[in-house]
Amino acid sequence: MDAARLEAILSRYEGEPYDLIPVLQEIQDNYGYLPKDEVKEVARRLNVPLTQIYSVATFYKMFSLIPKGRHQVKVCLGTTCHLKGGPRLVDSLSSRLGVEVGYTSKDGQFSLETVGCLGSCAQAPVMMVDDKYFARVTVDKVPKILKLYQS
Amino acid sequence: MINLTIDGRAIQAEPGKTILEVARENGIFIPYLCYHPALKPIGSCRICVVEVKPGPPRPLPACATYVAEGQEVVTASPRLTAIRQELMKLVLINHALECPICDKGGECELQELTHALGVPEVDLTAIPATSPPDYESLLVERHTDRCVTCGRCVRLCRDHVGAMAINFMQRGYFTELGSGLLPLDCEFCGSCIDICPVGALINKQFKYRARAWEVTKTEMVCPFCGGGCTYELHLKDGEIMRVYNGETALLCGRGRFGWPVLSSPERLRTPLVRVNGELKEATWEEALTAAAGGLKAVLEEAGPGALYGVGSPRATNEANYLFQKFFRAGLGTNNLDNPARLHYVKALSALGQVFGWPEVKEADGPHPKPPAYTSPFTVKEDTKGSGFTFVLGFLEELPRADAALILGADLTPELPPLGWGVNAARQKDDFKLVVANPRGTKFDRWATVSLRYKPGAERLVVAGLMKALLTAKPDLAPAVPAQGFEEFKESLKKFSLKEYASRAGVEVADLEAAAAILAQAQAPAILFGTELLSQDKGDMNALALADLFLLVGKPGTPGSALYPVADKANTRGVCELGVLPDRLPGLLPLDSPAAPAFWGDKKVAQQPGPTLLEVLDLLEQDAPEAPRALWALGGDLLRWLPNRSRTEKLLGKVKFMVVQDAFRTDTAKLADVVLPVAIHAEQEGSFISSTGRLGVLKAALTADGVLPDWQIICRLASALGVPMSYRNPAQIFAEFARQIPLYAGLAPKKAVGKTGIPAELKGTFVPFDLDISLPGRRPFTLIIGKVLQHSGSYTTHEPCGTLVVTPEGAVSLNPEDAAQLELKAGDKARVISSHGEVEAKVALDPLLPAGVAFLPEHFAQPAAQMLTLNSNLVRVSIQKA
Ligand code: SF4
Ligand code: SF4
Ligand code: SF4
Ligand code: FES
Ligand code: FES
Repeated sequence: MDAARLEAILSRYEGEPYDLIPVLQEIQDNYGYLPKDEVKEVARRLNVPLTQIYSVATFYKMFSLIPKGRHQVKVCLGTTCHLKGGPRLVDSLSSRLGVEVGYTSKDGQFSLETVGCLGSCAQAPVMMVDDKYFARVTVDKVPKILKLYQS
Repeated sequence: MINLTIDGRAIQAEPGKTILEVARENGIFIPYLCYHPALKPIGSCRICVVEVKPGPPRPLPACATYVAEGQEVVTASPRLTAIRQELMKLVLINHALECPICDKGGECELQELTHALGVPEVDLTAIPATSPPDYESLLVERHTDRCVTCGRCVRLCRDHVGAMAINFMQRGYFTELGSGLLPLDCEFCGSCIDICPVGALINKQFKYRARAWEVTKTEMVCPFCGGGCTYELHLKDGEIMRVYNGETALLCGRGRFGWPVLSSPERLRTPLVRVNGELKEATWEEALTAAAGGLKAVLEEAGPGALYGVGSPRATNEANYLFQKFFRAGLGTNNLDNPARLHYVKALSALGQVFGWPEVKEADGPHPKPPAYTSPFTVKEDTKGSGFTFVLGFLEELPRADAALILGADLTPELPPLGWGVNAARQKDDFKLVVANPRGTKFDRWATVSLRYKPGAERLVVAGLMKALLTAKPDLAPAVPAQGFEEFKESLKKFSLKEYASRAGVEVADLEAAAAILAQAQAPAILFGTELLSQDKGDMNALALADLFLLVGKPGTPGSALYPVADKANTRGVCELGVLPDRLPGLLPLDSPAAPAFWGDKKVAQQPGPTLLEVLDLLEQDAPEAPRALWALGGDLLRWLPNRSRTEKLLGKVKFMVVQDAFRTDTAKLADVVLPVAIHAEQEGSFISSTGRLGVLKAALTADGVLPDWQIICRLASALGVPMSYRNPAQIFAEFARQIPLYAGLAPKKAVGKTGIPAELKGTFVPFDLDISLPGRRPFTLIIGKVLQHSGSYTTHEPCGTLVVTPEGAVSLNPEDAAQLELKAGDKARVISSHGEVEAKVALDPLLPAGVAFLPEHFAQPAAQMLTLNSNLVRVSIQKA
């Protein structure tokens, strides 16, 4: 654990139980997830039971307990995309990246998630990598899209 | 009393009770799921709904609605049935119906409710919420897909155990019980198992070994510590299947999971006799003949004073009583003591000085033929009690304290039930807690004030507290008549408040804040442990706390009491039954007017015997009055007496040694005759818990090759010319209970001092020593103490269930100290004192202050007493091994 990195966050708070959510948010932003050791230290410093922290962290969707990959792949499974082949995209990405939905590939490059409607139904099926949209994606376009991000 | 009707039946109820409680008391069935008698109601499942008039038109949860005058309650109606059935269906949608393979089958509240409520098929469908079972955690198995989210386990673990190790995760439709990280990292008390209504939490020891309906149940006292918990032992084909507590669910891990130790290969099953220098297996006849022969030879040669007896805090009241009777009525000496000399006896002597030794006058009786394990005395109108027994706390009343000071005790390891009591007390909004300990402990989390003092500085902390109290409230006066107050105040003048604080290593402001809490409390409790009593000046520490209680205590107010820890199952009993060199059964003095009546025409010797520690000095000096023979009723002296190499040398001087023990201990290995004893449910008898509760052991198991202590004592005493014969332990209880008016009104599960005897209390302030210096120059102060999963050395033998959690003793260090010594967790370290050294694995504990290390006392290796001189505190150096 990088004590200084965590300290930089903790030192801005009073160390009271009510600081829990803002502290977790900062850790999430800074680390991309809530690492185990850091969470334990937060429990100690804010005097909040570890289980309570996990209860909070699993309630809010903004928190993640596993490291996010360098690139976030989101496949739309809203109604339109669902009908237009979204699930097939998920399968293809999942097998190409070797990762289940909700997890991160072994090399830490990609996280795969499914999301509700992305608001571009006319171009379904839609997927996103980081902040970029890809429209009318078919299964055979998947390798090309991934290639843009594979280093 | 309140008058109401339930289903048309007129009922009287105490105000403040809920409809569900009153219905249960009156045998009226109301189904429930999230409610449990041991928990505060939360009213979340709504299965318990009833119709209440006057009241709102909608039905109300019976578990969370209080009874009121004139209420009309209806517990069954078509509307209620429909609601309950609907709710049950919602519960059942996502319940994995695995009844045939679920361990809970046959005692599952969900099965019973489904049946009782006649729930037809579940005609609802929904997205399945499944989660994988947790097979990984120690001792507890979790099947969250069987969970009905009643929250009982979460509340029990949070509010009573205080571990907060489980909680609901993924709250919402997919709510599941979780622990954040896998596997479970908790106290492993298993209490959550017994409170779960379904098979979501499973006892791994019990799994697949028996079905609930196959077991026979025996209720008995737990023999693992001085907590005095009662539990059910479940047996099938004469074998223990599990330990269960359906009533309050609370037990600690040692009590619940410790029993496999009974079948340890390290158990002694045959007597041993030393032949040509070596211990050889022998028959009982041979061994008893050898023991009697050896002891007789010493007694004939050197007289009755040549034999010294050491009683046992693991043995029953009955065995200990007979043991001292052999010495007093048989040999006419007081040459006996017990290992609590090292801690609990110090508390008794301090309490005796401040509050006087206990006495009960004008008890009614002895009546003929009382029920088994019941005092033949009863309390009548003019019965009067006095002395310290009446300022000692009762477990059931601890939750009523409005403030508590925990000093020198890591409370839960010392005595888990005291921890549960403080947790229950802190559920009250106005409860205030002061935690004082050199180390950070579990209860700091809830402390209003934490005092982290230097090891050994307890008396300075207490003196500082009293100084602060008297400065803030100069007219503060004790609640009971007290002598010596002025001189005592004088003695506190030795230092200023600032000096007390700085010498103890705490802040003046914290002392003042803690003093203010004690001054304002209406029912302050003071709890302290063996950690403070085991110091060489443990008696002074106890004296300081007794003085403090005299100053701020409110004796007579429930919860306001002193709670010293008597750590083993019968530490309190071995003392109260008179296995002491200067006290008779009932803690009466040797010259008590009642004494001559004890044993017919045999007079009680007036000369007190030497204490266990004095005996060692006598041996060292080769004094003529040093004992030549020793009879020890268990208690591994080498393991428990400080300065092990000295003890070993001195015990070597004893000519003939008889040891009764269940295990081949190091002390047993020195003996000439070793007699293997029955333990746990292999024998019957009684214990007195730390808080005075009388617990009864039942002989539910067959004793394979071993004998109960009391039978061994009878046979050996008889062979030595002191005939003793009893039918059973109950008869022995009846004999001593006739001599002890202090036990008037005592019966199983009742507590000494809490049988309704009105007490007349007075006190004397006794100044205490303020010198806290610890000899030596080595850089670390080592504290030797208790860890949660072990009780004495009893639990350190395979296959005791708690060994999977804490398999060995490690030396704990502050992480920064460890880093400086270039030690990592798991490394081997040498711990060296001026008296010896041990090797131990290193554990890191951020709750330890710099310069303080901790080593558990329980294990054969590292042998903590190799390091000590006369105290559980010792200066040591620590290096990489
Ligand atoms: S075993 Fe005890 S400490 Fe662990 S989760 Fe269950 S109740 Fe809590
Ligand atoms: S595990 Fe058992 S006790 Fe805990 S919430 Fe689920 S059903 Fe209730
Ligand atoms: S606290 Fe003591 S008496 Fe209670 S279960 Fe644990 S070991 Fe047994
Ligand atoms: S459903 Fe996919 S963008 Fe709307
Ligand atoms: S038992 Fe009353 S609401 Fe659950």
